[in-house]
Amino acid sequence: MSLRERLGKEWLFCDGGTGSILQKMGLKGGELPETWNLTRPDDIKALNKGYFEAGSNIVNTNTFGANRFKFDNVSEIVSAAVRICQQARKEAGREDDAYVAIDIGPTGKLLEPMGDLPFNEAVDIFAEMIKAGYEAGGDLVLIETMSDSYEAKAAVVAAKETCNLPVIVTMVYDESGKLLTGGGVEGTVAMLEGLKVDAIGINCGFGPAQMLPIAKRLVECSSLPIVVNPNAGLPRTENGETVYDVDPEEFAEIMEQIARLGVHVMGGCCGTTPGHIKAMKDRVKNVPFVTPDAKNTTYVTSFADCVKIGPRPVIIGERINPTGKKKLQQALRDNNTDYILTEALKQEEAGAHILDVNVGLPEIDEPSMMEDVILKIQSVTNLPLQIDTTNIEALERGMRIYNGKPMINSVNGKIENIEAVMPLVAKYGGVLVGLPLDESGIPETSDGRIAIAKRIYEAADKYNIPRKDIVIDGLAMTISSDPNSAIATLDTVRRVRDEFSGHSILGVSNISFGLPARELVNSHFLTMAMQNGLSCAIINPCNGPMMASFRSFNALMNLDPNLEEYISAYKDYVAGTAASTGSSKASSASSSAVLTLGEAIERGVTGRAAEAMKEALDSGRESLEIIDAELIPALDRVGKGYEAGTVFLPQLLMSADAAKAAFAVVKEAMSDKPRNIKGRVILATVKGDIHDIGKNIVKVMLENYGYDVIDLGKDVPPEVIVDCAIENNIRVVGLSALMTTTVASMEETIKLLREKKPDTLVVVGGAVMTPEYSEKIGADAYAKDAMATVRYCDSVFEA
Amino acid sequence: MPLGVEIPLKEVKRYMGYHGIADISSDTEERIRKAVDQVSSQSHPRIVSKEYPVTVSDDEIVIHAGNEELVLHSTALARNLKDCCGAVLLAATIGPACDMLVRRAGVTSAADASIYQAAGAAAIESFLDDYNDRLKAEYEAQGLFLRPRFSPGYGDLDLGHQKDWFRLLDISKQIGIELTDSLLMVPTKSVTAIIGVGISENRTACTGCAGCNRHATCEFSKGSNET
Repeated sequence: MSLRERLGKEWLFCDGGTGSILQKMGLKGGELPETWNLTRPDDIKALNKGYFEAGSNIVNTNTFGANRFKFDNVSEIVSAAVRICQQARKEAGREDDAYVAIDIGPTGKLLEPMGDLPFNEAVDIFAEMIKAGYEAGGDLVLIETMSDSYEAKAAVVAAKETCNLPVIVTMVYDESGKLLTGGGVEGTVAMLEGLKVDAIGINCGFGPAQMLPIAKRLVECSSLPIVVNPNAGLPRTENGETVYDVDPEEFAEIMEQIARLGVHVMGGCCGTTPGHIKAMKDRVKNVPFVTPDAKNTTYVTSFADCVKIGPRPVIIGERINPTGKKKLQQALRDNNTDYILTEALKQEEAGAHILDVNVGLPEIDEPSMMEDVILKIQSVTNLPLQIDTTNIEALERGMRIYNGKPMINSVNGKIENIEAVMPLVAKYGGVLVGLPLDESGIPETSDGRIAIAKRIYEAADKYNIPRKDIVIDGLAMTISSDPNSAIATLDTVRRVRDEFSGHSILGVSNISFGLPARELVNSHFLTMAMQNGLSCAIINPCNGPMMASFRSFNALMNLDPNLEEYISAYKDYVAGTAASTGSSKASSASSSAVLTLGEAIERGVTGRAAEAMKEALDSGRESLEIIDAELIPALDRVGKGYEAGTVFLPQLLMSADAAKAAFAVVKEAMSDKPRNIKGRVILATVKGDIHDIGKNIVKVMLENYGYDVIDLGKDVPPEVIVDCAIENNIRVVGLSALMTTTVASMEETIKLLREKKPDTLVVVGGAVMTPEYSEKIGADAYAKDAMATVRYCDSVFEA
Repeated sequence: MPLGVEIPLKEVKRYMGYHGIADISSDTEERIRKAVDQVSSQSHPRIVSKEYPVTVSDDEIVIHAGNEELVLHSTALARNLKDCCGAVLLAATIGPACDMLVRRAGVTSAADASIYQAAGAAAIESFLDDYNDRLKAEYEAQGLFLRPRFSPGYGDLDLGHQKDWFRLLDISKQIGIELTDSLLMVPTKSVTAIIGVGISENRTACTGCAGCNRHATCEFSKGSNET
């Protein structure tokens, strides 16, 4: 029988520890265990055979770390390991009922955006290992000891794209059920179920006793077979060596308790031996086996957050969508991701649970932009995202690099659309929004919409996408053109709940298009929709009345325990101020209300600086005149004080922030007029360096002094900097490096610039830089801080 | 699990670049305090350590780690570990939350980003100091004395030894720090170090700022009363 036919139907047993046994055989510290596949195959065979003979059904090949970071002969090492394991199985007489697992461990590198390994490179690395194992005849892929769900995703994607073998994934959780990267049990399970692995579980980290509560949580939330592979207790050090104390009998006793929770595959990890496995199997095989049952909870997740859909309505922030938003359109064209990130953070602060991300504009490369924006948003917020696009390539690339289980907006009832979108959801996993419209358009009645919704559910069945992961859009359309439209939409929402036990979603504000005072209609419509069972509301969470409607509904429907959220949002509410956002943040303190623009900037009072600028503009003064007469002189005073040592860095930064806020007001007021810029400058932290605070400070200062900054970010390869300089014909490039080790890539960048674009001037800075060093690597100037960079640029551009 | 130890505001201000002045506005004080609270409550500190026997000569340290002998060439470390028979290798991190706070602030406010940055630096140091104090007491109860912490990259100890620390302590798996190609740690608020264990106190081992190879140009030591 195949492993897939047996998983979840009967007790199966994994193997135990490898490292501790190999060390007893003489493996030296620092020696890579996988080299033994070639140098000492008989020892590895003895290791594997010991487990087959102890009764393991699933035995790992000795390939845990056999990746290209450690070996240049990955394929040889892995295929040797598979052959050894097969031979061991044969010699143990277990060819009928035991399986050779291609063992895959973590790469030892952290993925972008937190680390420096690109997601798709991680997929390649795993695919190389898996391909070799598959071609050598491995029976399944066992991805284990993963402490980062994103890396686990890369390994699963690699397995799915390389072969059709069963895939098992076990993660390392800590005692509170968290991954080292912050994710929890439920979110990780949701992501892996979406990726359609065959079994999931936990291994390593600690012993069976500590693992018991986590095994329980897995049983409660997983619809898949569950694997539990603990260590032989907690490790401790004895004379520089790691030892584990739980003996086979004790191990077997606790494993029996875990078996009774209803898990399905059991084995061991560090410190366990064939003796542990045999003792465990003898006790566990008599425990009644419970088949896994399908759980009906829907989760949308990020790497660290897990949002449950229903019964409490979920708020999806709509602000990252260029439709009708001129400033966002401009930001997308200028590749100004800071603007997009600011929108993301604002919506999070206002109370959004999920953020919609739509970057569709005719003149931009949407697939690349989608990938880039998702990575960047996920580096500043834990909120899960809703990938919103009609571009199938953008959808796939977004889903692929997304860290977690995203929401997908959307599929509709057209056959062609279903055939394009559903295979992607089946592959990567996601909660899919279904629009009940088809080739003949949008049905006017709920009958028509429900009929299409039914077809969408049926199509999901065909693609093996669970119905709980479908969310039907009630299709809100303006009542100003069809007086019945709200009624049809509300009916659809209610019937999705009642007839399919399904989830629903609405782009709420569409209901009032073309009307005055839209938030009045919108907020009441939102309440009505929630009363009819709405699961997800796509709204602007920064709009006070909408959030008031949401919070009031939860308070009234017993969905806000102890009314905590309601009270915390409105404890300072002043009756009659309908625009109150419910945010507890007080506006600028009254003591600062009398400051002039210059004073506000000097003292770094951001809110007041923006206000004072607005007052000045409202009084009819020209923006340029205000900038020249008040803003720049104030900045200069702070800058000179900083240079003289009487003002310290934090104060300089606060003034810069305040000036930036004042500039934002000016920009807003003259958004249709061309800006007056002194020059364009590229800033980058060089390849290998991930420190960017200093560079960011320089950026803010340069912008305040009238420069247009192209910020290439951190860890930027020389070619990217050079290409950008050529493309934009840049005169000044600013490079930052914080570490002695990364100054080399600064030098390399300068060399390449000299070669490809010799008229560029390079100014360098960073903690390890000195004037001598900068001269040595061929830079044109050394800037000791942000002010010095401004002065240098002024000297170039004002000359 | 929050940080569990107090982050001294004085240290945060020092990392921010305030050199021994008291004139900080109450608004700024408040901002710093808030950031420190956030860093403290969102941190998830973890530490992994192992003690090994060591042999120390004038410019070479051999760490006897089970089946492996790790050789470190460094006169500065050899001076620090003079007369030691053992050493504790350790790695510690306050987790990824502080990095996220810095990145978020980076979008909206350079000042806040620098405050979080400083708070994180002070947090990992005070977490380690606290651990160090407890370790010291434990060893002193056995009649043993600890040397000051020393990290790969200090003095003439090659930063490349980060890889040895990661291998010996299995740092990635145990506490979730990863090494980039350029040997930087992520989460960034992380530390690797070695602490010597000797049967006598070695007062010359503690050189403080004066023993640092960046002493002449360091921005942070000015005005501080560190010895």
